[in-house]
Parts: sequence; C-alpha cells; structure tokens
Amino acid sequence: MSHRLLLLVVLTALGLTSCRDPQISTYRVPKEKSPAMTATPAAAANAPGATMANTPVTTAEGPGLSWSAPAHWTAKPASAMRKGSYAITDDSGEPADLSITAFPGDVGGDLANVNRWRSQLQLPPLAATELASATAHLDVNGLHMTTVDFTGGPTAKPQRVLGAIIPVGNATWFFKLTGPAALVTREQAAFATFLQTIRAPRPTS
Amino acid sequence: MSDLIRQFRDFFVSLKLTVVLIALSIVLIFAATLDQVNLGIWAVQQKYFHSLFVLWRIGDIPVPIFPGGYLIGGFLLINLIAAQVYRFKLTAKKSGIWLTHIGFILLLIGELITGLWQEEFALRLDEGETKNYSESYRSNELAITETTDPKFDDVVAIPEKFVARGEAIQQAKLPFRIVPKIYYPNAALAARDATTPGVAPTPATTGIGLQATATPLPLTYKQNERNAPAAYIELAGPAGPIGTWLVSADPRFPPQSLEYAGRTWKIAFRFERSYKPYSLTLLKFSHDRYAGTEIPKNFSSRIRLNSPDGRDDREVLIYMNNPLRYAGLTFYQAGFENDDKTTILQVVRNPSWQLPYISCSLMTLGLIVQFGIHLVAFIARRRTLPSAVV
Repeated sequence: MSHRLLLLVVLTALGLTSCRDPQISTYRVPKEKSPAMTATPAAAANAPGATMANTPVTTAEGPGLSWSAPAHWTAKPASAMRKGSYAITDDSGEPADLSITAFPGDVGGDLANVNRWRSQLQLPPLAATELASATAHLDVNGLHMTTVDFTGGPTAKPQRVLGAIIPVGNATWFFKLTGPAALVTREQAAFATFLQTIRAPRPTS
Repeated sequence: MSDLIRQFRDFFVSLKLTVVLIALSIVLIFAATLDQVNLGIWAVQQKYFHSLFVLWRIGDIPVPIFPGGYLIGGFLLINLIAAQVYRFKLTAKKSGIWLTHIGFILLLIGELITGLWQEEFALRLDEGETKNYSESYRSNELAITETTDPKFDDVVAIPEKFVARGEAIQQAKLPFRIVPKIYYPNAALAARDATTPGVAPTPATTGIGLQATATPLPLTYKQNERNAPAAYIELAGPAGPIGTWLVSADPRFPPQSLEYAGRTWKIAFRFERSYKPYSLTLLKFSHDRYAGTEIPKNFSSRIRLNSPDGRDDREVLIYMNNPLRYAGLTFYQAGFENDDKTTILQVVRNPSWQLPYISCSLMTLGLIVQFGIHLVAFIARRRTLPSAVV
C-alpha cells in the first residue's frame, strides 16, 4: 500500500506545477503619497536597473595620447582598464609589463599615486615633503611628466618600476613599466626614448 | 499484488530507468545551454526545467518534443525513492548509501519546492521614499484602482495574461466590464499629433492615447531588458462603452484617471506588485569608491523597517553579502540608479533555501561513512590475511 501512496504523493506534487496560473486579485491599500509610476526615471524604461556586477569603471574619455613603442616590445590587446599594454621579455623568462592607463581627475594626486606604486614594491610610503626629492620632471612635446624610479620587492627577486604621470586636460595618464629589476634596468634607455615619443592629441580645427 | 502494480513497481525500481533519466537530463541541459543564446536564462529555465515537457510551437499548437525538467526530475525522484524502498535494505553496512540517497532525494525535493514557490521581486526606492510593495522583474498587471475614498485605494489587479486573451473581464467590485481591444506583448510609444493631416486613426477615444500611439516590437529576452507591453482597453458600463484607453507598462507612462457613476478610478498597466504588511524607507544609499578612483568598493542601503503593528521600527543596513532577512523574505542589495539616489533591492522568497545545504551535508556524510566502512573492512581483512597464510 505504501508504494501506491508514495506514487500518489509525488504525482500530486508534479501536478501542482500546472496549478500556478495567476488570478485576478482585489485588495485595499493605504493611499500612496507620491505617484511612484512617474517617479521612475526615463532611463529605466526597459532596463531593470544597473547591477553592481557590471558597474562600469570610468576611464578617461576624449582624445587620447599617442606614442610609438620600440619594436622589441610586444603589444598586448588593450582592455577596459588599459589604453595600451606591452610585454617585454628576455631569456630568463619572466616578462616586464608596460601599462598605459588613464582616469578622470587627478586620481588622488601625485603623492597617493606614487605611494600606491611604492606599496606594490613593498616600499614604505613617502611623506608629502619627500615627494619632490623622489620624483623628477620632464617636459616633452608640450606635456608635463612626473617620473619615478623605484626598486623594491623581495631581496632575492627585486622588482623595479619606472613610471610617468601625465596630466592631460581633465584626466591623468599613467605609463608604468614594471618587472624584474635586471630586465627593467636593461630597458631603462628604451623607456626614456619611448617617453619622448608621447604626443598630445592634435587640436581639431 | 496485481500484475499491473508489479510491472509499475518494476519499472520505477529499475536501474535502467536511472541511466535513461540521467542521459535525458544531459541532453536537456545541453540543449537548454545552447538555447540560452536565443532566450536568455529566465525563459530557458521556464521552457526546459520548470516544465513537464519542452514544447515546440507548430503554428499555434504547442507540441511536446522532449521531457522537461519536472518530468525527468520527478521520475528520478520516484525512481530513487522506489529503489530505496524495494532494493536497498537498511543495514549498518549500507547506512552510507542510505544517507547519500536521502541527501539526493532532499536535493530534488528542494528544487521542486524552489521551482513552485520561489518568488523574485525588485524594490526600487528613492532616498526618503517609503514603499510597502515590491515589483516583479517580468510580470505585469492591469490595475484598476478606485481612489474615491480619501484614505484608501481599492485595487483590482488583473494579470497580463487576461489582457492577452482579449476576452471581456467582469469583476464583482467593478461597475464596468474591461474589454481588451488590442494587446502588444512589447511595444514602443511615440507621440501622436492629432492635428497633423493624414495622421493614422487611434483606437483610443480618451486619455493619453489621443496624443500617443503604441507600435508593436519583437519580444526581448535579454537579461538587462524587459518587455513593455501595451494595450488598448475599453471600459463598458451597462449603458454601453465608456471609452477606450491606451495603457503601457513602460514606467514613463503614468496612470490615467476617470470618473464613472460618481466615483473616481485610475487605470494603469504596471509591473506586478506584491504588497507587504510593513514598509521600508530608504534613508541613504551609499556608493563607496576606492580613494582617488572610480572603482566601486561597497554599495549599501540604510533602510528604516516599519510595521504598523509597532513590533518593528528599526534601522537596518543592507550591503553586499549582508541581506535583510525578514518575514520569510530576503532583501539583497542588487543595484542602483538615478545618480546614486535610488537603490534597487532584490526581494526573494525561497522557502527551501536551507535544503541544498542539508542535502549536500547528508551526501558528504553518507559518502564518508560508506567509504569509511569499506576502508575499515579492507584494513581488517589485510590484518587477518598474513596469519591465515602462515
């Protein structure tokens, strides 16, 4: 008998799947204070709202800088975050990475950005008074660059960063070469030449 | 036991049935995954998994072409229970297998309950706004609301499928019939200038429909879009038609007022609402970013939860991975809009949310016990073996 009952129970549960049709309903609610239907912004017409997973990270818009990279740097595809990306390899295998990024505003200012790079090399942060002595300045093709050169990381595998911070209009551009200290030292001259090729967008007439 | 019942039992106890059902589910999942490109995840779930049969439309006739998730899952459930009752004896040696099977049965039952009773709604709140209802992500309703009483609104909510059917709707609380004249499952709205010579006639005789027209659009299945159905609705009293209104579920389309028999009403096509016996007020929405960047760090909504019986009047902070669980519902931080002034909470009812945890724990425990029993027996045999040889 128990197995019949069992079958009946399961089949009834399955039968319920066809009994979920919505029905007309009536109810009483307190008056709404504001017309909610018109409060919804027009942009929401067809979209169920921005989801946090796809919150866009704002990168700098408008005309960008242009540059020419040395031939032995391998261009990598740019991403949502990067305006340009290059890999530099040598025989030892571990590559160096050159990233070009741009963000609106001053992104926290030079001190915050320099200290962010220092923390990536496990170096202590600089005080505001030490910033001037830790950075250098270059004027190239009408652009003012703040350049840095730090070496840090584990003693067995030291890492080096060569960076340039360039304010362009309402945005800030970052050129950062990072990798094994020996490889970056080898590329130091190439990086300096590379910085000389960076140009501001031509004003459109 | 009669022959028929025995055959029935043998069919459901059979291990061959298990293999066939598992093979069918592999095909079903594969086909559904491919079809997700066309239909999106929600429609695929409904078509392939929350159905007894996968239907193929030939003209207007739906033809079942493959067993759906409920059928395969249901048979698998019966098969597993039947095998448990008739094939496996409850002994200490088999206790691990029992635990594992009970865990799996619970998993299937949990999925059935979720499919049947899970609800998913959105709650959109502007800063300072109070709401006691959430809105469906997908379903719409035609709401005829009597606003005569200065304190209360009396709502008649008609699900979209009644409008789609196009048959006249008579409801005891309404002094008129509702006759859907034209229905578009998804439509675009455009302004209509009645003074322009040669302008196309509109079925609407009153309201916004005189200045706007709806044109049908293909249905969208994209996850970040929703369909905005529109309809021309005629209201007809005993003395004849009162008028024909254009209504649209597009949120920009406001409710329209009408007067009839000395009472006032509002007519609106809107996202289906689910009212609660309590209200939520958004005090503040915060969108924190990492210093100096636009990269999001945290999203949170400070909410005041208020129940009219006075049992609850407190502030709660909802942020990612820290939802509010209240009255059987879970409120997750799901999104935002309107320049960080509006929060979107996902409101979910899932009565069986604990079952997957329980069933997975049972299955893990069952496997450990079963393998443990075998391991102990194996070690015991090895210990006795050399002495037997010597």
